[in-house]
Amino acid sequence: MLPQRMKKVMTDNPKTLANLIDLVNLPSTLREFMGQSQTSRLGCFKRVWSYIKENNLQDPNNKNLVNCDEKLKSILLGKTRVELTELPTLIKLHFPKQPR
Amino acid sequence: MIKIHPTFSPDRFTYHVLLIQSCKSVGLSLSPVHQVLNLMTSNGFPPNKVSTDIAVRTLCSSGCEEQAIELVKELSSKDSPPDMYTYNFIVRHLCKNRPLSTMNSFIKEMREGFDIKPDLVTYTIMIDNVCNSKNLREATRLLGVLSEEGYKPDCYVYNTIMKGYCMLSQGGEVLRVYKKMQEEGVKPDLVTYNTLIYGLSKSGRVKDAKKFLNVMMEQGHVPDAVTYTSLMNGMCREGDPLGAVALLEKMEAQGCAPNSCTYNTLLHGLCKARLLDKGMKLYDVMKQNGTKLETGSYGTFLRALCRNGRVAEAYEVFDYAIESKSLSDVAAYTTLESTLKWLNKAREQGLVI
Repeated sequence: MLPQRMKKVMTDNPKTLANLIDLVNLPSTLREFMGQSQTSRLGCFKRVWSYIKENNLQDPNNKNLVNCDEKLKSILLGKTRVELTELPTLIKLHFPKQPR
Repeated sequence: MIKIHPTFSPDRFTYHVLLIQSCKSVGLSLSPVHQVLNLMTSNGFPPNKVSTDIAVRTLCSSGCEEQAIELVKELSSKDSPPDMYTYNFIVRHLCKNRPLSTMNSFIKEMREGFDIKPDLVTYTIMIDNVCNSKNLREATRLLGVLSEEGYKPDCYVYNTIMKGYCMLSQGGEVLRVYKKMQEEGVKPDLVTYNTLIYGLSKSGRVKDAKKFLNVMMEQGHVPDAVTYTSLMNGMCREGDPLGAVALLEKMEAQGCAPNSCTYNTLLHGLCKARLLDKGMKLYDVMKQNGTKLETGSYGTFLRALCRNGRVAEAYEVFDYAIESKSLSDVAAYTTLESTLKWLNKAREQGLVI
């Protein structure tokens, strides 16, 4: 069980928060997908998730799996199938920690 | 300075508008307020209690408590002392926004300088303040002081003290206060019973709490959503969420509409007890009513869904949380991310399928 305390720390910690909502210059692959040159990690996650829903990319037999189309494949390491559980981790790869 | 039109001569109200504006523009000195007050006096409207009250309220709500105190002292020495409403307003504001010593010195100065003593309301405010910071010893001391001053504690005072014990989850003490109240012949009101039931439920004495639900109905008080929710909270804590759901039906049958807190409590309880299907049904009802999710129940619900391998539904809940503006994007996302992280870790260790 994830302790309640830990979650609170995560939203309270300004660095983690900044990591999540600061606008970042995107790499070219992501730029094409998003149609923007700058976005935050949170914004990117929301965009990807809504893209999956709009295009009905969830596997009809197992909703937890996503069958990637070409466009999605280009940003998710070229995988054809992605589990929803790993989505945040995969997106995080595009947002490396910036030395401050 | 101001030209007075012969037919539209300013009256007291006009000056009060001016006074409010001048209070809003107060910096470190009170000179704009003085200007208006002088103008009032010279035009035949010497400031009265209403003027004092208006000025004090405006000053306090724009964060100039010190200036408000200064003004009150000035006016008191000019034979226009504040009435109890104004006085209590300042005390309440000081309690909220300033250290306790500021309030104490204000009370002392008013008592010594202008013979204005705190009344029962003032004491209630002070007790409420110390109860909120869980300092029950000070609350008890104040209760003694209050009796010494010749006041008899009323329902509100007792309710406040009960609330204090609730915060410490001391159900026994809450009950003790209730009994004392009856000994003193103070009639309990709806809030008393709600506090009592809440306190008992919180400290795990649901049986007693249920008993008081009957007592309060016999006394002619109609239990409201707060009463039922407190009771449900207790039942869920005890691990009886099904009983809580049954209570929801009973509550609705009696014509009492559940609020968002009720639903969240139940959802939390059901998910904790691993009754996800029932929780899912409840969530559908919540979605239909547009009820907002709370941080706690949102987290528990997500975890329960993920534990049962229903990640896609967890994502839908995430969407709903943002759509219904229950949580901020950031809070909703951090919870989702950490839950998924937890899930992946548990899977690696072979704890969850």
